Amino acid sequence: MLKLLGAMLILLAFTLFGFYQAHQFARRPKQIAELIRSIQRLETEITYGFTPLPQALLKVAEACPPPVGALFRNAAEALAKDGCRSVQQIWQEAIHNQWQHTSMKKGEQDIIRQLGFTLGLSDSTDQVKHLRLAIQQLQGEMDGAQEDRKRYESMWRSLGLLMGALLVILMY
Amino acid sequence: MHSLLQLFSVPLRQILSTLSSEIQRQVQEIRVRERRPLEVGWGVHYSFVSAAGGLCDNPVQAYVPSREDCSILLENLTQHSLYSFEEELRRGYITIDGGHRVGLAGRTVLEQGKVKLLKDVASFNIRIAREHQGTGNKVLPYLMDDLSRSVHHTLVVSPPQQGKTTLIRDLARLISSGPAVPGAERLERGYKVGIVDERSEVAACVRGIPRFNLGPRTDVLDACPKAEGMMMMIRSMSPEVLIVDEVGRPEDAAAIREALHAGIRVIATAHGSDMDDLRKRPVLQDLIEENVFSRIVVLHGRLGAGTLEGVYNARGERLSPALGSREAAAPHLHGAGESVSLRKRPGGFTAGSAPLDWTGNAAFGRSKAEGESERC
Repeated sequence: MLKLLGAMLILLAFTLFGFYQAHQFARRPKQIAELIRSIQRLETEITYGFTPLPQALLKVAEACPPPVGALFRNAAEALAKDGCRSVQQIWQEAIHNQWQHTSMKKGEQDIIRQLGFTLGLSDSTDQVKHLRLAIQQLQGEMDGAQEDRKRYESMWRSLGLLMGALLVILMY
Repeated sequence: MHSLLQLFSVPLRQILSTLSSEIQRQVQEIRVRERRPLEVGWGVHYSFVSAAGGLCDNPVQAYVPSREDCSILLENLTQHSLYSFEEELRRGYITIDGGHRVGLAGRTVLEQGKVKLLKDVASFNIRIAREHQGTGNKVLPYLMDDLSRSVHHTLVVSPPQQGKTTLIRDLARLISSGPAVPGAERLERGYKVGIVDERSEVAACVRGIPRFNLGPRTDVLDACPKAEGMMMMIRSMSPEVLIVDEVGRPEDAAAIREALHAGIRVIATAHGSDMDDLRKRPVLQDLIEENVFSRIVVLHGRLGAGTLEGVYNARGERLSPALGSREAAAPHLHGAGESVSLRKRPGGFTAGSAPLDWTGNAAFGRSKAEGESERC
């Protein structure tokens, strides 16, 4: 009886793990798309509104659901509050704090990190160049992410259950 | 000073807060130069700020701002967004909250032979602005025009750094506020005031909003060329009194005449040491010969910055405050007016040269007035 209960638990755990992995693969391209939209929004704020960076980031954060929005909000709040650190430091810290809540991977993180080195530090034409570059790179990552999703999402969905089943069979 | 410290990086903030409160009160300029000694101008002196804290005269002992100090300062000045300060970077200065102005120098980027923007900013001159309300109290009684129930067309004349801008700023405040504020009791009502602030000095606007108190009925056209701005103001804002700084070009004169014909009172300033000086300058000479200005206020610095030498009418005659006003006794009714009538007797030259007390505080009067005039 106890053995059966254990087996059920194992099966359940592995299935959930499989679903979680599948979910991660499904969320990644969505979040990259959100990131791209946010950066496009930021570009508009910078070129047409000439909105100062803290307000611009806040506006972007408001239009973007978490966890991606939280990244911008975190940076905006730190910028508005703290006068003795550079955008670069604050940006890196926001990434450090918020990235773990997203499903995105190292590739996107590097692109966003790179963006932090130039954000707010040049005239608007130059800013646009950097933002466009980031968007382009993110688009590349997105294609990869979509491919991965196709390949691995359904696989993980069944793989979890199957792995659980294998373990249960081995143990029995 | 306290709000200013927020601009600096932590090390700079710590170094600057070691200055004694006496010096902090008198600071007029903070000069931050990348990898060169940190300097402050206070009172009439310039000193370096020692790395150990306090002031020193030897540049070797001074604190040397690092590249990081400077980049954080620039980021804070521009709210981390250089792109929204392109115009300011082209002009070479940024006006910040509190009306302080920060002059910048670095490497310029050219586009078609014109300065497009400033890059690699390595020198900052933070000029601390102090508002001196009450400077206009003694001058305003001379400018009352009882016939038209308004103020006279006025030209304020002084050599640089003697408080012209400070004076017209306060006149704007008084005329705009009307009899509700002390010093302007004799005005019938508050007037609509338009200020064309070509160099952002009178109003010190940040995003179009004046940082100085200019009264409730004042509109400011910031960073606009004077002649064009005056015409724009006349067309769009229907001012009753138009205030401009530093007239002197032929197109300025044309715009002033235009304002006159529109029934608008003009208060303008010009460089010059006295009436004779004015008569030598081509454009101003014409304006004076046409009797455009019915009051000419002359300031000079022989007895400290911002001393009122005298107020003249269009014929160049010195006025006592009672002249040009039917209510000769009126100034005696008010504190500010009283001191005018006591000190400014026609003929008594030295007695008439009472320093305008910018601050109301004799101990700081002199140095503060000079600090203000730094902006002129």
